Amino acid sequence: MTPQQWQRLKNVFQEALDQPAHARRDWIAAHCADDVTVLREAEALLATHETAGTFLEEPARVDPSDLETLLPGTMIGSYKVLDEIGRGGMGVVYRAEDTRLGRLVALKSLPSTLAMHPDLRQRLRREARAAATISHPSVAVVYALEEMGDHLFIASEYVRGETLREEIARGPIAPERARAIATEIAGALAAAHDAGVIHRDLKPENVLIKPDGGVKVVDFGIAQIEGPEATRLTRAGSMLGTPAYMAPEQLLGQTVDGRADIYAWGIVLSEMLTGRHPLQGRGDKSNVHLTGPFATVIARCLHADPAARYADAKELLAELGSGMGSEIGTGQGTGMITDPDSVRNRFWWEFHEAVTAVVYSVMIVPAWYARGQIGSWQGRAFFIALVATAVVTVTARLHLWFTSRFYPGELEWVHRQSSRWIRGGDWLFAATLVIGGILIGDEHSPLAIILPGVAVGAVAAFLLIEPVTTRDAFKRSGITT
Amino acid sequence: MSSDPVSELMPLVYDELRRIAASYVRGERPGQTIQATALVNEAFVRLAGERARHFNSRTHFLAIAALSMRQILVQRARARNAIKRGGGPQRVTLDDANAANVDAAFRPAEHEPGDIDVLALDEALSRLAALDADLAKVVELRYFGGLTVEEVADVMGTSPATVKRQWAMARAWLKRSLEHGGP
Repeated sequence: MTPQQWQRLKNVFQEALDQPAHARRDWIAAHCADDVTVLREAEALLATHETAGTFLEEPARVDPSDLETLLPGTMIGSYKVLDEIGRGGMGVVYRAEDTRLGRLVALKSLPSTLAMHPDLRQRLRREARAAATISHPSVAVVYALEEMGDHLFIASEYVRGETLREEIARGPIAPERARAIATEIAGALAAAHDAGVIHRDLKPENVLIKPDGGVKVVDFGIAQIEGPEATRLTRAGSMLGTPAYMAPEQLLGQTVDGRADIYAWGIVLSEMLTGRHPLQGRGDKSNVHLTGPFATVIARCLHADPAARYADAKELLAELGSGMGSEIGTGQGTGMITDPDSVRNRFWWEFHEAVTAVVYSVMIVPAWYARGQIGSWQGRAFFIALVATAVVTVTARLHLWFTSRFYPGELEWVHRQSSRWIRGGDWLFAATLVIGGILIGDEHSPLAIILPGVAVGAVAAFLLIEPVTTRDAFKRSGITT
Repeated sequence: MSSDPVSELMPLVYDELRRIAASYVRGERPGQTIQATALVNEAFVRLAGERARHFNSRTHFLAIAALSMRQILVQRARARNAIKRGGGPQRVTLDDANAANVDAAFRPAEHEPGDIDVLALDEALSRLAALDADLAKVVELRYFGGLTVEEVADVMGTSPATVKRQWAMARAWLKRSLEHGGP
C-alpha cells in the first residue's frame, strides 16, 4: 500500500465511521470503488471494527514485580546491565558487564523487601562473605555484594550455558552422565559445607551446564536467605508448580544443615535419571522405578530423618567413587537402572535370613518341653526369655526379607537400623538355649544336648555365614556390616 | 542541554515507576496485576513536586510514562518467553499455515484468557508506526499509558474527536493485524 493509498484509506474509513452504522458499507463502496486495494482494506477494517468489542479498551495491566526489571544499558554502580537471564522468587538475574574489570558477571538483584530489613541484610552480608570463600571448580564464584541505597545486588561469575532443568526437559540423562553431573554437584556441596555454607535451594535451575559439559552450581547460601516463605511465594514469571526440593525439616522451618542439601541432591539425581521429580505422580503406572545402586543411594538421601541420610557430601562422594561407580555402566541408558547381579547376590542372604527365622521359631517347641523338665520359675523364665529373643530376631529378619523383596530401595537403611538388634537378639537367644540346657540337669535328656547344640549352630551361623552372605548382598553400595 | 529530552527524562520516570511498583509488591500479594493508569498517575503525583521542573507539562510526562510502560512490558514479556522457551520444546499446531499464527503459537499463553500478547502487539504497533506514526502513538498512550481520550488529545495537540477516530482506525487495524498476520 502506498502512502497515498494509506492516506485515502484513513480518510475513507474515518469518515465512514461518522455515518450511521447501516450506511457505512455503502459509503465506503461509493467513495473508493476505483481502487480495489483501498476498498478491500476499508471493508475489512470496518468489519473488524464492528466486532472489535473491548479490544484494547482496557489499558494494559502490569504485575508490579515485573516493573522491577532493569532495562539494558542501565548502570548499577560500575555494572552495566546487558539483559535479563533469569527470574525467581528471590529476584531477577541479569547478565552485566563489570566496567572496571571488563568482565561479564551475573548480577542478581534481590527483592527490595530484603534490603529493607536490617537483620536480613546483615545475614545476607554474612552469607555472601562465606559464599565468597568457597573455592571449587563447580561453584560459581561470588564476587561481591553490592549495596546501592535501597537495592542489593550480588555479583557472581557469569556462566555461559544452559540449566540442568533444560537438559532434563529433553528427557532422562544417561546414567553415566548423570553420575558425572551428580558427582560434580556433590563436590561443590562438599566444598561449600567445608566453608560453612549451606546451599538451601539446590535444584536443576541452579545447576548450570557449560558448553564444555562442565557443571557450575550457582546461588550458594543466598538463595533462601528469607526462609522457606520466600520460595513458596514464587512470583509471576518464575516456574510455576516447581516441585519441592526442600527437605522436610526445611519445609517445617526448622534449623537446617548440610543434610538438607543432601536431600535436594537426591531429588536432583533421581530427576536426572528418570526425567521427573521422584515425588511426582506416585502410584502412577508410567512412573519409572529406579532399582540398583542409584536407588539405594537416592532412597537414603530422601530420608525424612536427616540422621538417616548421608552425614555429609563427602560421604556421598565416597559412595559415588566406591563400588557404585563401576556398576553404572551396566544401566541401559534409559534412566532405568537395572542390575541383575544384585538380585542374584541377595538370594543367599535372603535365604539365610528366612531359614534362620524358621529355625528360631521352631526352637520354641523343644523349649516348651525343656520348660516342663526344668520346672518351677526357672523353667518359666527360660521359656519366656527364649520366646522373647526368638520373636525379636525373627520379626526383624522377616522385616528385612520382606523389604528386600518388595522395597529394595529402602533395604540398606532398614538393614542398618535393625542389624544391631538382630545381633543382640542372636546372642541372647543362643545364651538362653545354653542356660536352658544346663538347667535341665538331666544329662540323659536329649534336650540337654539339643539346646546347646542349636546354640552353637546359631552362633556359627550368625558369626560365620551371615557376614559372608551380607557382604555379597550389600557390597555394591559399599556397605559392610 | 541534551538533543533528546525524552531519553534524558526516561530514567527519571522509569525510576519512579519502579519505586511505586516496589511499594505495590511489598503491600500486595505477588502476581496481582494493577492497571497502567494507576501506576502512571501515581508516578506523576510523586514527580509533580520537586522534580516537576523537568517536564514541560503533565502531558509531556504522560507521553514519556506511556513509552516507559511499553518498554517495560515488552522487555518483561521477552524475558519471560526466553525463560519459558528454555523450559523445553513447546507443542505447536500447524493446522493453520499462516506464518503469524505459527509464530503466535510459539508464544506461551498469558496468565488469563483474553489477555493481549504484548510482544505481538508491540510488533504490530511498530508496523503501524511505519505506516502512520500518529495512530501508533495514540495506541501507545491509551493502552500502555492508560491515558484518557482527552489526555491523548492534549499530548498530541489535536481534538478529542480526532483522537477518537484515530483510535477506532488503529484499533481495527491492530486487531486485524494480530488475527491475520497482515496486512
